[in-house]
Amino acid sequence: MTEWEYNPSPDIDETMSEQLRNFPRQPHMLMYAIRSIVAMLLRGWMRVYHRMRIDGRPNLPATGSYILVCNHTSHLDTLCMLCSVPLRQIHRTFPAAAADYFFSSLPRSAISAILINALPFDRKLKGAESLTVCSELLKNEGNILIIFPEGTRTTTGEMSRFRSGIGRLVVGTDLAVVPCYLDGGTKAWPKGKAFPRPKKLSLRIGKPKRYSHLDKSSESVVAICEDLQNAVAELGSSPK
Amino acid sequence: MTIETALQSGVFLTYLKIIGGLLVFAGLMITILRVSGKNVAGVWNTYRGWLVMVPIVIGTIFLGRTAIIAGVALLAIFGFKEFARATGLYNDWWMTGLVYLGIILLGVASYVPDPRLGYDGWYGFFMALPAFVVGAILLVPIFRNRAQGQLQQIALAIVGFMYFGWMFSHLGFLANTPYAYGYILYLIFAVEINDIAAFTCGKLFGKHKLRENISPNKTIEGSVGAVIISLGIPWLLWFSFPHFEPWHLVVAGLVVGVGGQLGDLVISYIKRDIGIKDMGSMIKGHGGILDRVDSMIFVAPIFFHVIRWIHGIREIPVS
Repeated sequence: MTEWEYNPSPDIDETMSEQLRNFPRQPHMLMYAIRSIVAMLLRGWMRVYHRMRIDGRPNLPATGSYILVCNHTSHLDTLCMLCSVPLRQIHRTFPAAAADYFFSSLPRSAISAILINALPFDRKLKGAESLTVCSELLKNEGNILIIFPEGTRTTTGEMSRFRSGIGRLVVGTDLAVVPCYLDGGTKAWPKGKAFPRPKKLSLRIGKPKRYSHLDKSSESVVAICEDLQNAVAELGSSPK
Repeated sequence: MTIETALQSGVFLTYLKIIGGLLVFAGLMITILRVSGKNVAGVWNTYRGWLVMVPIVIGTIFLGRTAIIAGVALLAIFGFKEFARATGLYNDWWMTGLVYLGIILLGVASYVPDPRLGYDGWYGFFMALPAFVVGAILLVPIFRNRAQGQLQQIALAIVGFMYFGWMFSHLGFLANTPYAYGYILYLIFAVEINDIAAFTCGKLFGKHKLRENISPNKTIEGSVGAVIISLGIPWLLWFSFPHFEPWHLVVAGLVVGVGGQLGDLVISYIKRDIGIKDMGSMIKGHGGILDRVDSMIFVAPIFFHVIRWIHGIREIPVS
């Protein structure tokens, strides 16, 4: 008789806050249920309150893992992006979120982990480590990573320079990167205000880009960042 | 069992005093040990865990029957969840969900009145549930049209439901009996004392290993000591069940003293087979829920049925 193979959860001796903060998180039934319900409510809210419009949804790759990059104007960006992916992929969509902000306390971690499904990204000390977590995530088929390559929300409304992380993540791989542009975020939820205002939002999704033809070098990283920045900016300036 | 009856119940109020007194006493002892320079970090953690758990348990009993039944069902669900996560059954959401549903139904059966007799707690449904839930679990592979690895899944799910769900839920059903305060408080109190006694006697006199392949820290001396102490406890707490005759007290002590340690050993070999140290990390200083209620799972159904054979669980005996 062969022995049974047990498969204990790797987070079995972690406390609840550790389970929320560490990544990858183990699947959790109640968490999934809450997240699905919230995602549906969120979609309704965005449609009604912000009269959100999404253009270019067919551009999202149907198979394989991919990265969504977007300009970062407010917290609404993440929510909009979450509304743009198919509902059945909601549990495999991970917005990279600054660990120093979104995982700073237990209530914040709970909201980030359960509702947003955020990937804690260390933008200060362990950036390289966080990138490794991201690339591990993307190796599994069907995962979606949402990244705001500017690294922080804009205060002026102008897009700032893309940080190199996205380039380092993509260089030397065949990953699809989908550029997106969100219009109206700054007006709808200015940085520092407690609640969003009922302003119109419009999300444009561009054609996926691949960089497998570039070799692994620092020049390629810069080129990728520039190319993506141009692609996002172009979506922003294109006529509505 | 309501808040009013709890306030008027001499049994409940006496337990409140005993447990409060013991907690204060234990706190003082630890403080004295600490002042005298002993390392008490481990004990202190465990004690802090108690300080959180005791008010929750007492508060639940204070709130009455509904809270007790709901609380036991919740503990059973979270306990089973720890088991499922430890074995890997949790990856199978159909099986896990079915067992959750079964445990919720056990809570419902403990709560609703018997439709024919009108008593609180539908005993017939409670006792019939295992057949239906086990039946439902057995059907899952048929629906999935899959055979490979299914025996392990159904076996884990059935053990999970029967042991952590059904057997443990007997504690909640006790809330329907006329001596609910006495029975439930005695069980919880005596089971914990038995645990502590086994540990302490083992530390003081332990020489011979009890079951070295399962739980190397348990000793025969600790075990015998715990049974002796558990046999004495019902005499001190006779007020919990004034209708008991002396030999009933012996039975009550034996059930807790022997059953409690067996329950502990059951969880120990499950953990050892899986290869983990604690079932979870829910309670700081105590491990998971199952590490805390392990003895109660084994004791509750045996105590329940012994009581039922001797006195019945409905009629108020004439004392």
